Amino acid sequence: MDIDAESLSLIQRKQSLYVSQDERFLLGLQKYKGQQYSHIYFFRLYKMREQFRSLINHQHPNLPVHTVLGLEVGKQCIIVGTLYKQMKLKPSVLDEYSKERSAVPLVKPHNFLHPDDHLILEDESGRVKLIGDVVKPSDYVTGVVLAVHGEETSDGDFLVHKIVEAGLPPQIKIPQEAKEDKYVAFVSGLSVGSIKSNPLQIQLLVDLLTGHLGDDKEQNVASQITRIVIAGNSVELQQGLLAGQSLASKDQSKLSEPIKEFDLLLTQLAAAMPVDIMPGPHDPANYSLPQQPLHKCLFPGASAYNTFVSSPNPHSFYLDDVGFLGTSGQNIDDLAKYSEAKEKLDFMERTLRWRHLAPTAPDTLGCYPFTDRDPFVVESCPHVYFVGNQNKYGTQLLKGSEGQLARLISIPRFCETGVAVMLNLRNLECHPLSFSCET
Amino acid sequence: MMNKKRLATNPASVPPQSKKRTEEEDVIDEMDEDVFVEETLLLREEEDLLYQDSGLSARLSKWKRPQLSPQFSPHSTSIVFQQLEIDYVIGESHRQLLPQASGPVAILRIFGVTKEGHSVCCHVHGFQPYFYISCPDGMGPDDISRFHQILEGRMRDANRSSKAPRFILRIDLVQKRSIMYYQERKSHAFLKIVVALPTMVASCRGILERGLQIDGLGLKSFTTYESNVLFALRFMIDCKVVGGNWIELPAGQYQKTARSISYCQLEVDCLYTVLISHAPDGEFSKMAPFRILSFDIECAGRKGLFPEPSHDPVIQVANLVTLQGEDRPLIRNVMTLKSCSPIVGVDVMSFDTEREVLLAWRDFIREIDPDIIIGYNICKFDLPYLIERAEALKITEFPILGRIRNSRVRIKDTTFSSRQYGTRESKEVAIEGRVQFDLLQVMQRDYKLSSYSLNSVSAHFLGEQKEDVHHSIISDLQNGNSETRRRLAVYCLKDAYLPQRLLDKLMFIYNYVEMARVTGVPISFLLARGQSIKVLSQLLRKAKEKDLVIPNVKGQGSGQDTFEGATVLEAKSGFYENPIATLDFASLYPSIMMAYNLCYCTLVMPDDIRKFNLLPECVNKSPSGETFVKPTLQKGILPEILEELLAARKRAKADLKEAKDPFERAVLDGRQLALKISANSVYGFTGATVAQLPCLEISSSVTSYGRQMIEHTKRLVEERFKTLGGYKTDAEVIYGDTDSVMVQFGVPTVEEAMALGREAAEYICGTFTKPIKLEFEKVYYPYLLISKKRYAGLLWTNPEKFDKMDTKGIETVRRDNCLLVKNLVNECLHKILIDRDIPGAVQYVKNTISDLLMNRMDLSLLVITKGLTKTGDDYAVKAAHVELAERMRKRDAATAPTVGDRVPYVIIKAAKGAKAYERSEDPIFVLENNIPIDPQYYLENQISKPLLRIFEPILKNASRELLHGSHTRAVSISTPSNSGIMKFAKKQLTCIGCKTPIRNSEQTLCNHCKGREVELYNRTVANVSELEMLFGRLWTECQRCQGSLHQDVLCTSRDCPIFYRRKKAQKDLAEAELQLDRWQF
Repeated sequence: MDIDAESLSLIQRKQSLYVSQDERFLLGLQKYKGQQYSHIYFFRLYKMREQFRSLINHQHPNLPVHTVLGLEVGKQCIIVGTLYKQMKLKPSVLDEYSKERSAVPLVKPHNFLHPDDHLILEDESGRVKLIGDVVKPSDYVTGVVLAVHGEETSDGDFLVHKIVEAGLPPQIKIPQEAKEDKYVAFVSGLSVGSIKSNPLQIQLLVDLLTGHLGDDKEQNVASQITRIVIAGNSVELQQGLLAGQSLASKDQSKLSEPIKEFDLLLTQLAAAMPVDIMPGPHDPANYSLPQQPLHKCLFPGASAYNTFVSSPNPHSFYLDDVGFLGTSGQNIDDLAKYSEAKEKLDFMERTLRWRHLAPTAPDTLGCYPFTDRDPFVVESCPHVYFVGNQNKYGTQLLKGSEGQLARLISIPRFCETGVAVMLNLRNLECHPLSFSCET
Repeated sequence: MMNKKRLATNPASVPPQSKKRTEEEDVIDEMDEDVFVEETLLLREEEDLLYQDSGLSARLSKWKRPQLSPQFSPHSTSIVFQQLEIDYVIGESHRQLLPQASGPVAILRIFGVTKEGHSVCCHVHGFQPYFYISCPDGMGPDDISRFHQILEGRMRDANRSSKAPRFILRIDLVQKRSIMYYQERKSHAFLKIVVALPTMVASCRGILERGLQIDGLGLKSFTTYESNVLFALRFMIDCKVVGGNWIELPAGQYQKTARSISYCQLEVDCLYTVLISHAPDGEFSKMAPFRILSFDIECAGRKGLFPEPSHDPVIQVANLVTLQGEDRPLIRNVMTLKSCSPIVGVDVMSFDTEREVLLAWRDFIREIDPDIIIGYNICKFDLPYLIERAEALKITEFPILGRIRNSRVRIKDTTFSSRQYGTRESKEVAIEGRVQFDLLQVMQRDYKLSSYSLNSVSAHFLGEQKEDVHHSIISDLQNGNSETRRRLAVYCLKDAYLPQRLLDKLMFIYNYVEMARVTGVPISFLLARGQSIKVLSQLLRKAKEKDLVIPNVKGQGSGQDTFEGATVLEAKSGFYENPIATLDFASLYPSIMMAYNLCYCTLVMPDDIRKFNLLPECVNKSPSGETFVKPTLQKGILPEILEELLAARKRAKADLKEAKDPFERAVLDGRQLALKISANSVYGFTGATVAQLPCLEISSSVTSYGRQMIEHTKRLVEERFKTLGGYKTDAEVIYGDTDSVMVQFGVPTVEEAMALGREAAEYICGTFTKPIKLEFEKVYYPYLLISKKRYAGLLWTNPEKFDKMDTKGIETVRRDNCLLVKNLVNECLHKILIDRDIPGAVQYVKNTISDLLMNRMDLSLLVITKGLTKTGDDYAVKAAHVELAERMRKRDAATAPTVGDRVPYVIIKAAKGAKAYERSEDPIFVLENNIPIDPQYYLENQISKPLLRIFEPILKNASRELLHGSHTRAVSISTPSNSGIMKFAKKQLTCIGCKTPIRNSEQTLCNHCKGREVELYNRTVANVSELEMLFGRLWTECQRCQGSLHQDVLCTSRDCPIFYRRKKAQKDLAEAELQLDRWQF
């Protein structure tokens, strides 16, 4: 094209200051060496008990705090412990072995709740069954640390009078109000290589973000996008190909084709702006949380740019002093299997109030057996909390009792909805960006 | 008041070698044993022994039984109680109740519980042991008193040591008849010989059988009748008491015992004539609130040795007490040696010395006063261990665990052998007044399982795995701190809890009490003795009503007399894709005995047929040639017993349909089951050659009738259902078993087959004598008939949907097979029968074999397990598991299996010609060292036979197709990491893509594979991902099973299906990560 560069005003992309907070999610040299999962529960309880201590002192100064062992029948007290939910329908790896193969194939329920489920509170000293209407088993899952006020009954159960709410974790205030609009784009579930994904639709997204679409006005908007976060499931590989022993050469390329295609898209993005890419359950990454960053050898094109950041899942960072925390969706999907809520956003709210990102890890959600920490405890409330690969777009602004503000975003799968999400750093407002291409 | 000597079995004077008792279907040596109560023990020294610890006694006292009402008085209150245990002792006769008697007599003791939960011990006086002999012809009343004198004299000679003033109390002339053979005369003269003490029955019987000189008659020997009936059973029969029923002592008819000798709340004396025995109906079918104690002990063994009471301390005892009928335990506690952190809902009692632990347990038993003691393997391990341990520690006051004050518990070794249950060695610990119910014995009796460990039994019945702490770890936990001991206590408690849960789940209390009620024997007989005592008890009761007596026949020879058993029709093996209708005889053998009036008393001796001049229409001649009279001449006792049993079962089943209350339902269900089992065991009683009253004429007649009926059915079916008779196709009987006939009617649908089956059953049924009944119940479709007694098929009872897959005689549960065989057979049958996909089944077999050969098999599927019952030297032939145990001991004595353990092993690859027993190896060792397994062994010795059995009727050349196809060509064997030549090999990195050696250790791929980087990385990471998923699922499952999130998993249960997998996942993951790490450049 023969256009005089002078005649066009050069639009400069805005920038934001990026500080990674991912260190706690990186495994580094930690290896599987026969560790077990008891440590992670131990650290979780230890950390949470610390946080509850001041809360209880403040809210219930007169009530004694006991261990499960120290309970006495009829005496009111508070106990802090990890929940274990006894579930009738919970699938077990043992079923593959011990049960006779039934003649009728089992229909897998979408979630494993049953009216007989009940909660047990456990600390280092023992376990006690929780009863009473205050704690609904369907709301809770195994692994949540809870403080409850109540008393032991003569049957040896614990009758709960009240739950001591931890509430949102403390938050660092955003130092000063930003004056200009700056946006962060979120997208998840591109699923390059799946039959559901539409290459044109994805290209439209890339073009819009990189400013190759529309007139000045639109390009101006594009220039305000300072970062894009890709929250998991970027590619989809044919599952059958990975299991076998050796592959024919045409199958070898099937394994690498979608990734090459995706690398091309990433390269375009990275050339224009900073990109964070998180692994998701379908990506070529490990299974257990925290999922480690996607290997750079997968993206020879994009990884040449210093704007390309391969991050772990969960992912946490500051952008212009605004705190972000997010996952590719596994934590929320697992909650939906083992508990109940009206909307996915409610699950997200619960995890913040429980101050734990993924309580069902390690019980039903794969997780690395940490021996020195529980990286999923949310000690400081993020300003933006996002979860990828959900059914539909949803958002909510959560306000805490101490003035905390948290923007919850559920990012839909792009390949099914064509929706990306834009967040304004100035006021934490958020809107969907919909792409469609009728053919 | 009581005899001062404990003649026979004073524990102090008993020689140390214990008495071995062989119980061949509990006959010959079944003898009463007179126990004398020793008064010296009754001194009030017990107050010194009890309650050394006031804190403990306060704790124990709150668990006492409910207090007796203050209004209680023997003059105005009747005692109604459910009895559980009846025994007897020898004591001085009761002065008030029996003023004219003197000398030592047998006093029966009935132990039981009232419905308020008070414990009762009732001393029954006045019942005397007796038996019968037939009165020699021409012996009159005068001769009898002469005979009495002679017999008394001979008895005195034979029992010189006895101080009894009289042996034979009296001899009565009575009119009775022998149960054996049909006789025309309705009664004969018999002599009822009443003796002073129960043991004298046997001694007197011996004298009479050997013969004695009588004036005028010369040397004469006698057949004795009912001379081997245990005294307690004799009493129960004569007083119409059945096991576990309710007994009433009317007000004013009993006295409170002047000086109590038991720990029971109510201890009374009465005459046997005042007892009212209630039949178990209505109000009296209920269960009293028994106290059931379930307990388990832990011992700290030394490294590498199974705990022995002479060395190893008892460190914990966990107890759980439940009231019958309640679903929550009343008491949960654990007694520990050294401190132990508290446990929620459990009373933890810690003691500094083992002596205190043992004595605390003794006091606990005494205070809570359990009626039934249960546990897992308590009879063989826990109880003897506690007693022997106390002996080793010289705590003489420990073994006072029964309900009789200061009476010490004794241990006897017994060998129990019976045809049905095989030979079992066990120890008998008699605890007076308390019933022992060892769940292990019950399981071995009632169920055929591949393993009887508590773990696999609870996995089977309760659907949950049990944590298993290896006994070598137990000592470590004990030697740790109070937290590790708490861990152990939690484990010990679970072991005490599981038997109780099994008891509840499988309704054992109801089923066994009902069995005792139906058969009339005490509950303790049901576990300790064989089947025949139950039939004998019913026979004796019925015979008594009819004035018949049962001769004491010495075991008829060696037990080698056999008769033709139930034959089966030749199986036409094949895979039937048409519905096969099954015609079943309902309770065939009992109905035959009823239909043809088969009994001891209807059997006509060959010589008697002519002598009695029996008309042909009055007798039945069985196909085996025996003659039995028809009911018009003499109704048989066995048919009568059977009729009553079956009628009672019908009633119980009808009541069960009506019943709403769950406890009532449990009772009725237990009853109908007991009735069914009892009816079926009558036939066996007549056929057991070394039993009480064998009669091969009856049993061979039964089977011959059975054979005849099967053949008759076959003939009728094939004659009637023919194209000539208007049916679509000719019917064909493809197989007939003991009591069922399989018919192929040739129709294509289940519905048509059912209609024809029903028609055939009705038609043929009409040709049989009542109550023999041929029923149509089920259709098999499809049906895989392999050979006789081996088949599989889908079972249909309605035309819409099949009920289940039914298999018989096919390797699905054999215990010495590895899991692979079971899975493979199950999956193949599933594919063949349910999916109707034979090619799929073939493919599945091929894939599995290929996986096996390519070393892709999950190791846990290949583990074979065998119990180590004795040490290597005692085995005559070298066995794989014994050799392995020996080798493991050399490697590490601490964790090697010891006698009593189950040894899991896999067969590994070894030098050519090595014997199988040399190739066994510990699966853990194999996992850790990458030792190659021997796929050929598994192919040839494990899976080929069962597979060929299934596929031969289906496939041509099954063997070639399945076992030698192209899928068997590729073989991969893992490289051992620590053995042989590999120790000298130098490791070199290879390219992940093509395995070319790489010089530069920084590289991952060779130059040639550079372009495949993405693909190869994907595969490496996918492998890690899959293993991580597995790792998480396996380890969290074990956490759930152990019931704690905050503590490490310790379990080493090799019975658990995921144990090896869990280990393997851990190891594989570490390896896969290493591969992944090579990409971090």
